Amino acid sequence: MPIEFKKNRAVFRGLVGVAEAELLLETLQKKSSTRIDLAACDHLHTANLQVLMAARPAIACWPKNPELRSWLEDALKLPASATAAQE
Amino acid sequence: MTDASSRNPLLDQFLVEAHELLEGISHKLMELERLPEDPGLINELFRMVHTLKGNSGLFTFPEMTRVLHAGEDLLGKVRDGDLKYSPPLADRLLDAMDFVGLLNAEIERTQSIDASRAIDSARLAESLRAMMPAEATSVFSSSADAVPPLSRVPASMPPLNSVPEEQRLEAFRRAGEGEKVHWITYQPEPECFFQGDDPFHRARNTPGVLWGRALAAQPLPPLAAFDTYSCALKFHMLSVAGHAELAEYFRYVPDQVEVVAVDPLWLTLAEIGTQNSAAPGHSEIAAVRFAVPQPLGLTEGAVELARLLTVQRQILALDDQPAWLPGRLKAVAAVLGNCARAAGNSDDSPHLVAALATALDRASGQPLLDWLDAQSCFGFCTLPPLKMTENRPDEAVVTKAPAEDGVKFGRRAEDNQTGPRALKVDQAKVDRLMNLIGELIVEKNALPYLAHRAESQYGVRELSREIRSQYSVINRIADEMQDAIMQVRMMAVSTIFQRFPRLVRDTSRKLGKEVQLVLEGEQTEADKNIIESLADPLIHILRNSLDHGLETPDVRRAAGKTEVGTLTIRAAQQADRVLIEIMDDGKGIDPAVIKQKAYEKGLIDEAALERIDDREAVNLIFAAGFSTADVISDLSGRGVGMDVVRSAVEKLNGTVAVESEKGKGTSIRISLPLSMAVTQVMIVESDGQLFGVPMDNVVETVRVARNAVRSIKHSRTAVLRGRIVPLKALNDLLRITANPLTNADDELAILVVQAGSEILGLIVDGFQETIGVIQKPLPGLLSGLSIWSGSALMGDGSVLMILNIREIL
Repeated sequence: MPIEFKKNRAVFRGLVGVAEAELLLETLQKKSSTRIDLAACDHLHTANLQVLMAARPAIACWPKNPELRSWLEDALKLPASATAAQE
Repeated sequence: MTDASSRNPLLDQFLVEAHELLEGISHKLMELERLPEDPGLINELFRMVHTLKGNSGLFTFPEMTRVLHAGEDLLGKVRDGDLKYSPPLADRLLDAMDFVGLLNAEIERTQSIDASRAIDSARLAESLRAMMPAEATSVFSSSADAVPPLSRVPASMPPLNSVPEEQRLEAFRRAGEGEKVHWITYQPEPECFFQGDDPFHRARNTPGVLWGRALAAQPLPPLAAFDTYSCALKFHMLSVAGHAELAEYFRYVPDQVEVVAVDPLWLTLAEIGTQNSAAPGHSEIAAVRFAVPQPLGLTEGAVELARLLTVQRQILALDDQPAWLPGRLKAVAAVLGNCARAAGNSDDSPHLVAALATALDRASGQPLLDWLDAQSCFGFCTLPPLKMTENRPDEAVVTKAPAEDGVKFGRRAEDNQTGPRALKVDQAKVDRLMNLIGELIVEKNALPYLAHRAESQYGVRELSREIRSQYSVINRIADEMQDAIMQVRMMAVSTIFQRFPRLVRDTSRKLGKEVQLVLEGEQTEADKNIIESLADPLIHILRNSLDHGLETPDVRRAAGKTEVGTLTIRAAQQADRVLIEIMDDGKGIDPAVIKQKAYEKGLIDEAALERIDDREAVNLIFAAGFSTADVISDLSGRGVGMDVVRSAVEKLNGTVAVESEKGKGTSIRISLPLSMAVTQVMIVESDGQLFGVPMDNVVETVRVARNAVRSIKHSRTAVLRGRIVPLKALNDLLRITANPLTNADDELAILVVQAGSEILGLIVDGFQETIGVIQKPLPGLLSGLSIWSGSALMGDGSVLMILNIREIL
């Protein structure tokens, strides 16, 4: 399972595919306090990325992969409104 | 680039077919202009475009597929009556087809399509889609402008200020080293996830990417109403890869990508912008940078500017008077204007316009040079302060995509086409050659007769010898010529084998079976006609093997076999025949079941049910109307199939037989002649006449003592090698009243022939040699006589009638 849903934490591992997005969205809809652990994540499908960008959950761990981290930091660190306003 | 022999035969076939289809399409397009209401024509046209699109999809030619797809959609609308066929529409379609032809020629030359074609392809597809009724066009292709999306000029400078300081500096440094920096905006289609696309993955792997970010294309909807499966993001990237490389990378989505060449100067201009909206920490870095007296970037920018101006001076100083001088002057003026603006001096533009007008009037660059000299802002040591706000670089500054030198539309595609490597010859011409060489071979056989006559009739031995030596030379050349002509018609079986892996894969998946396909002897060659007519029978057999032969993994496991079934197709040449064997390790054929089914369907009677052995029983699957499948699937089981296979193979003078061991597997063996042109026949004599019997039917020639022939009821039989062989006199069959002759030892000459599994001994007067003949079908009224399969000319000019053994049995 590329995303493991723990009590209050979603742990991403390896390649997270498009199929995971549905469940991720559901989880975040139900429980907005879920923290995201991306440490072991190598890649996540666009569908997951946009769910994270829409939900803005707290990030418990950033990816170890520095390149992915910079992408995700850019997308997830700024407040949602700022991303849209930048355009 | 590569020579023909190393090319993929499938690709070769595609090219030939594409060529034909394109010809057909343009022909139909033009015909349709004459008869726009003809539904048959438009259907035909649609089918051809569809076929070509499908074919191109087999390879990675997205450029071609995209255009064809748009064409197909458009024609679909015309076919359905949603759109009227009109000359402008025909123009676009013809343009598109010319483009496809061009790509085809390019593939023929280099086996690939240059990535720069993606732009033209997208543009053409867009222009085709623009013809469609409004509701049919998609969001991304509705824009009316025909500017290629990949190089579309942005309305404003890309928001470089969103790039963090470090990466921007890096980009600037790389630009200074001569690398091109590109700003990429990638807006995936909302439904792209359904096409298996992962835009984020594509964005991350952009070649030469220095920096990138994902952002919402529109403000993201609230989480409760969020649609996971619709892509709502877009991506910005800064890359140091070349335009061509980027075009290649984004070739599948050129309509979703915008690539803008970044002027190195912009990277520094963006500096000011960061003051307001930069992430924490950036302003400090910026401050540090400004504290450095001669920031690296600015010097390089200035050098760049200086170089640009020097070039402009050189251009202006040229004293030739080309026809395009006005255009050149305008271009220089535009560059100068932009340089001035980039350097912070945009107030002087009225003077520049005036200088340009004077220059155009005098047809000289001097006024512009004067203007340039008057500009103080181009003092190179001190660059004026940068002003971000006014620095909206004019569109002309944006480096246009290097694809400009690609296709010029409106130019006929033929201009660029190279002649095809292979000569395409009408088959009728090759057939004519074949007939002629056949006649030559027969005719040269007359020479030995002549030599014989020269010696026996005229007594000139010398001449006879010379004729013979000449004959041997002509004989050798004629044989080689025949061989060469045959080679022209030869094709490797791989041309049909190539279709099988896909067929097996699709079929086995549909049936939930696991099958491994093994192809052997793909290089075996045979006559084109034979290879081509073999395709359908083989597909039938394969489907049968997959459907009835091989078991599902569960069943196989239970039977103690490996889960993956093996299907082997083996081709080999054996003397002058091609053997093709299709073997599976499936459940085999149960002879008892076959016999029972055959009996139920009335294919055999009760007596036969008892009599036939297992080997004969399994061959009953080739009987017409035989099917064991209880359910009719879309694969097989309609009661057609194996008998179709048999008749197809027999039409080619071939034979087909099946061997099967219950539980172990089935093997179907097809034997075909290499070529149908020359038939080997054995000449037999009866009542002073000569007849030909195809060697394929001949089992053996024997002499049997007259008293060894027994009569059982009214038919005569003889025991040969422990087998009872029924005998018939050829004279009787042909209604010749004479009795068969015997030789000095009172022995009858018996030619044992076979057709299918039946054997017959033909009583003849004597045997003669075996010769190769070109068999001609009987003309006119004679063609109704089925006892003859044809006639052939002999070396001495006489006609040899060839018996149809199947008919005699």
